[in-house]
Amino acid sequence: MSYEERANAHPNLGDESDVEEEALVNDYREQVNFEDGMSDLDRTTSLGGGSQTQDLQAQLAAAATPLEYQATLETKFASYDNYCSLFHYILNSDGPVELEVPSYYWAWDVIDEFIYQFESFCRYRNRVARSGSNEEEAQLLRENPNTWGCYSVLNVLYSLIQRSQINEQLAAMKRGEDPLAYAGEYGSRPLYKMLGYFSIIGLLRVHCLLGDFSLALKTLDDIEMNKKAMFARVMAAHFTTYYYVGFSYMMMRRYGDAIRMFSHILVYVSRTKNFQKGGNSYDAIAKKNDQMYALIAICVALHPTRLDDTIHSALREKYGEQLNRLQHGGPDALPLFEELFRSACPKFISPTPPDFDNPAINVDPVDHHAAIFMDEVKNTLYNPTIRSYLKLYTTMDLKKLAGFLEVEPEKLRSWLLINKQRSRQVRWVEGGLLEGEPVNANDLDYALENDLIHVSETKAGRRLVDWYLRNLARVY
Amino acid sequence: MGVTFDKCDTRPANIDAILSGLDRYNPETTTVFQDYVAQQCEDRTFDCYANLALLKLYQFNPHLLQAEPVTNILVKALTVFPSPAFSLCLALLPAHTQPFQSSDAEDSSDFVESIQKLALLSTLLESAQYTQFWSTLNSDDLYADLVADVAGFEELIRIRIAVEVGKAFREIPAEVLEQWLDLRSREALEKFVVEVCSWEVDKTGATGTVIKVPSNKENEVRSEVKSERVGVDMFGRVIRRGFEQAA
Repeated sequence: MSYEERANAHPNLGDESDVEEEALVNDYREQVNFEDGMSDLDRTTSLGGGSQTQDLQAQLAAAATPLEYQATLETKFASYDNYCSLFHYILNSDGPVELEVPSYYWAWDVIDEFIYQFESFCRYRNRVARSGSNEEEAQLLRENPNTWGCYSVLNVLYSLIQRSQINEQLAAMKRGEDPLAYAGEYGSRPLYKMLGYFSIIGLLRVHCLLGDFSLALKTLDDIEMNKKAMFARVMAAHFTTYYYVGFSYMMMRRYGDAIRMFSHILVYVSRTKNFQKGGNSYDAIAKKNDQMYALIAICVALHPTRLDDTIHSALREKYGEQLNRLQHGGPDALPLFEELFRSACPKFISPTPPDFDNPAINVDPVDHHAAIFMDEVKNTLYNPTIRSYLKLYTTMDLKKLAGFLEVEPEKLRSWLLINKQRSRQVRWVEGGLLEGEPVNANDLDYALENDLIHVSETKAGRRLVDWYLRNLARVY
Repeated sequence: MGVTFDKCDTRPANIDAILSGLDRYNPETTTVFQDYVAQQCEDRTFDCYANLALLKLYQFNPHLLQAEPVTNILVKALTVFPSPAFSLCLALLPAHTQPFQSSDAEDSSDFVESIQKLALLSTLLESAQYTQFWSTLNSDDLYADLVADVAGFEELIRIRIAVEVGKAFREIPAEVLEQWLDLRSREALEKFVVEVCSWEVDKTGATGTVIKVPSNKENEVRSEVKSERVGVDMFGRVIRRGFEQAA
């Protein structure tokens, strides 16, 4: 289904279309118009003639096509060589190359597949070393340490970004200037522009897979996170971006921001579900969808907050019982936190060749990151208990409460400090994704006067505007 | 007052230039970052974003990895608790360091043992078990070696603990605080809270000496009702509709 068809199909979804949906349609229209404008620029003629072009066309198509699941190591090596020569041709020819790309989504597909193959190669290599069973493959991998090397992968992504001047272009767009003035010889062409743009998203993903969460967020400095951003025109790109940004926030303990990211994209998906069905990326999106609900469940348990109604009911439906257990906290919830984290985290990789001679030393990077995350979960395990008790009182004696909880007063003092510390969080207000202001993220606050706990609660006033607007829309 | 993770007031211009360019991946800059870590240890500053860049260089070039800068970075990250700094650093270390496994394994290297020991300290600080933190720190000479490069380590930790106490307490019994700060003599404690924290010591109470923390934004605890933000823009659509129908 093309974008045009989707956009036209949308208004027929029902008469109950509410404000947001209307906005979505407008967004899509804008995106479609934008695309129309771009396609004028797209009329390029392919360079040279005859067989060379055909080879190139085959390479272009191959670059965007997933490898078979059972692909052999030789195929993986060959695929790497294919990418190398293709990117070399695109980046290092005399001047920009004139290419007719197979489809509009090609640029995203190519970057997506490139990184996916890097990720699965690294994981495969690590697994071969860990199991130590397949000596033949281990030998082959040992002899080719630079295939799918982290430096070559980053080099491709950074070169595409630099060639296309995409960051300069995006910064100009942010300032309200004409990006073309900054695009240069390469960046003014859709091929380079799109490859450069999606390389930024690709970098976000690679940094996140390598465990560098702050750099992952830093990479997106010039991209504005909203539905009008270029990535929003390719559903898979839109989705991927929010998943990795949300996850990076989560690992930086900015749960409020993580929830905001996940909710944003999940609401978007739930409202546009009807016209994605049947698409070949639907299954992948459905899987990521579930992963993000699992991550929201974790974040909400660590950082209680009010969710969007759509998200809340979907979360109850998918993870209702688990969410209750997570929110209840305590040691019983630990295995569940870990299980959900492992099911929903990215497939972390180690960028360098493993030690084939010592299988035991090659720990799965997913275990590494899960252990780091679980340490924080363990430290904050009693926050829900503390909160549920303090909600009941305005003043309370520390020793009495310790008696209720059957712990030493000393332990309770620690728990009170932890809960207080974790309720302060950095939250994004404006500017780059790494910026933010420390806020009190909890409606419950307290202070101790020796052993006397003074508790106060911030109450949210009634929310009337939303209700009012909905009903207004209904009556006229 | 915003916080920006990738900025640091005390960062020299040359480091800033490396961080914002592709030189941050250049193995040759490793020594520059290592010197910068040493400098942070000396002048009591902390630049998490730059230190992560060094750990990333090690991640990409394992043969360059040196134990000392890594442990110094981790020790420095301890001094800014509670924060994600320590976990973010751990995330870039090789997975085989297994920071939260017990260090009893016979064959583990010194490097791995150091990481695991520091991770234990981090857990104690992040879970506010300050008394156990000090007893653990003093339990093994290896800890003394690990923190030796970081100027004023104990002082920095004490200040961090005091800041956290100041946010949660208006008054705190002196005997609790002296354990948390590991200041065993009453004079040392009084000197610290008065001179460093500008708090008051009250000896008049019936239950023993009490440290009084002046009221601040975090410990005053006020109930409030958060009201909804209402802006004109929220009604834009309704108003527009009104005009459309009139026309």
